[in-house]
Amino acid sequence: MSSLFGFLSLIFATGINFYLFFSRYILRFQSQRFNFFIRLSSLLTLLSFFSLMYAYIISDFSNYNVFQNSHSNKPLIYKISGTWGNHEGSMLLWLSTLSIFSFFFSFTKNIEDDFKKLTLIIQSFLHILFSLFIIFTSNPFLVNSILVNEGLGLNPILQDPGLAVHPPVLYAGYIGYSIVFSIAIAGLFQNKDDEWLYVAKKWSLISWTFLTGGIALGSYWAYYELGWGGWWFWDPVENISLMPWIAGLALVHSLMMVRGEQAIKKWIVFLSILCFSLSVFGTFLVRSGILTSVHSFAADASRGIFILLIFFIVTGFGFLVFLLKEPKKSNSLNLLFINKVSALVINNILMIIATLTILLGTIYPIIIEVLYNKRISVGGPYFNSTVIPIMIPGFLLMSIAPILSWQTNKIINSKKYALGFIILSILVLIQSFFLEFNTWGLVGLLLGFWIILASIIAICSSYKVKFTIKFFQIINPHIAHIGVGIAIIGITCSSIFQTELDFNLNEGDKFNVNGKMVLFEEIATTNQINFQSLRGKFLFDIEKDESRKIEAGKNYYPVSKMITSEAGILHQWNKDIYFILGDQKNNEWFVKVLINPFVSFIWLGVIIMMYSGLIAVTRR
Amino acid sequence: MNKIVILTPLIILLVICIFSLTYLLSGKDPNKPPSALLNKDVPIFESSSLYNSKEIIRTIDIKNKKTLINFFASWCSPCKIEHPLFFEISEKYPELYLLGFNHKDPTSQAKKYLEDDGNPYDFVGVDADGLIALEFGVFGLPETYLINENGKIVFKFMGPITTDVLKNEIEPLL
Repeated sequence: MSSLFGFLSLIFATGINFYLFFSRYILRFQSQRFNFFIRLSSLLTLLSFFSLMYAYIISDFSNYNVFQNSHSNKPLIYKISGTWGNHEGSMLLWLSTLSIFSFFFSFTKNIEDDFKKLTLIIQSFLHILFSLFIIFTSNPFLVNSILVNEGLGLNPILQDPGLAVHPPVLYAGYIGYSIVFSIAIAGLFQNKDDEWLYVAKKWSLISWTFLTGGIALGSYWAYYELGWGGWWFWDPVENISLMPWIAGLALVHSLMMVRGEQAIKKWIVFLSILCFSLSVFGTFLVRSGILTSVHSFAADASRGIFILLIFFIVTGFGFLVFLLKEPKKSNSLNLLFINKVSALVINNILMIIATLTILLGTIYPIIIEVLYNKRISVGGPYFNSTVIPIMIPGFLLMSIAPILSWQTNKIINSKKYALGFIILSILVLIQSFFLEFNTWGLVGLLLGFWIILASIIAICSSYKVKFTIKFFQIINPHIAHIGVGIAIIGITCSSIFQTELDFNLNEGDKFNVNGKMVLFEEIATTNQINFQSLRGKFLFDIEKDESRKIEAGKNYYPVSKMITSEAGILHQWNKDIYFILGDQKNNEWFVKVLINPFVSFIWLGVIIMMYSGLIAVTRR
Repeated sequence: MNKIVILTPLIILLVICIFSLTYLLSGKDPNKPPSALLNKDVPIFESSSLYNSKEIIRTIDIKNKKTLINFFASWCSPCKIEHPLFFEISEKYPELYLLGFNHKDPTSQAKKYLEDDGNPYDFVGVDADGLIALEFGVFGLPETYLINENGKIVFKFMGPITTDVLKNEIEPLL
């Protein structure tokens, strides 16, 4: 019943969008009426999504999608998140997110009605494309032709709180760019002046903040769930999310810097189209199952072709409009050796090169397989040795960019910076000789600390420190950069100075980890509602009274006959101690312990960046 | 700005779409990597018969004849599913040489399996330690290879073959 209801709402919503799309040429609506229809279609789409969710909650196995992906003895939260834990539901979530963005955009006040209407019509167009995709190739409301009492279960790897929220947040990031895309295209059509830039800035900041959160959640999930001890694997799907993130970063910076220069405006339009194109491209790569990764769902060529067509239409349309309606008249840029504009231009170029490098590495296996019928995989070594060196000059520039002047080559307080940099270099150099020396480690630490230091110098010497909202808005760019610096330190330490210890242990054995004695207490197996768990229980630092308990092990999910690994992580502010329980051999358990220094700095840095993103939204 | 520069994104888009489309249309499955051995010579092997350890088969023995090589085991249940198809094949194509490799199986159980379900193979070679399968790049059982008269691997299939696979993919090559 709820399935029928959901399907009908979806159809009605699509119908309304068709109506709106053609209304531009046939019926001319009052803008109030227009907004009403946009909101109605958004609500209908959401209704459709919630009907599917309802079917999941009540375990309505007469719905084929629920039958395929759910099971009645699953905790409620995973019944809910199961809604988007599969291809069809996930696409419906995509469409719903698009609707939510259109809905909120329809309330925007400070732009002309005509412009707003055009933007929303482009949104309607996108809505139509994706809802046709859902209705014809990925309908989540199909009726189950057999009568069953039980479903087949959700992939256990997705039964995790982090994964329950990761897709919606990530989608909010991806699809938020649709608004920016529509605004840019509408801007090209109407040849409007600068007012749309402010609106675009707000939306691109919102999208970027969501995207940051979504990527970080996914990354954190990979860290504790996959049990490989790392948090970034250059998996194709990770790369796909990183591309719009970097392009979005370039976009946000350009929007902040633009002072009416035509060249930068043109560049902003280009980036706006690029960001959303990359988002749709990402959706295509994941949903078509064309690349193997942890995210691979069942591949189906017809779906792949359909969504490739959508990607082609959206991107082709975007860039074609850009080609035909490019903003006229260029006044030249005020480029000096080192001023704000030139720093911005250099940074943007670097970011685009990085994006293209990632793009090349991600699609290279497809090209090679088509041409030579050979399977190759492009992974960490390629990306680490190309993307990171490209980004380094950008990071260097970033530390001083906020205090550069618009008009001159002068850097205010340049002596302070030089002194700070020299002292810092010496400190880092000394530190690296006393610990272990590693060139990349040295570069990473120096960069991270330098960005933080330079930002602090800039805050202290350029503004009066006051604790008002306005002050935090003004120093916001520096705060964002401090976040990046902290994240760089975390990334450098955890990836370069990671240590790995391997043990073969019996229950009751004691072993030494980083100077602390650890007791391997016992192996315990328990039965939970939807899985059986096997846990190795460890007691960390037994010589102290307050020793800490760590549990590492595996879960076995009988419904889908899968085993997932559950790492045991002891978080400390300066390091994570990461326990992985391996297999049993000759009555001994293989235990791997990783010491990841300063991992928490990565998450802290990300949180600061997101905070800054939100603050920037509030500032005009 | 120069039009060529603005055209670049469209050109890149076109290239990406063409490659992706070719990939999708060629029916490639990312979970099933292409065999590195396709259109290459048969790996060199030597195996004794399941029924008579003195009877040996070598790569040279299958020269100049079309051969269908099938890796199977008594413990592999999908193998049971495809098993009857081999009788059909041997009846329909008597000139095709059917070579079965019994993979990591105790001899007694392999014999019992072929007794119960029948033996469609012209020769059953023993691959007790799995070395021959390793040479062929076998991923999992069952796996089937078609070798042409020139000793080249022209077809490879992972998993149980079905009537569809037989009709659409193997028969055109026979």
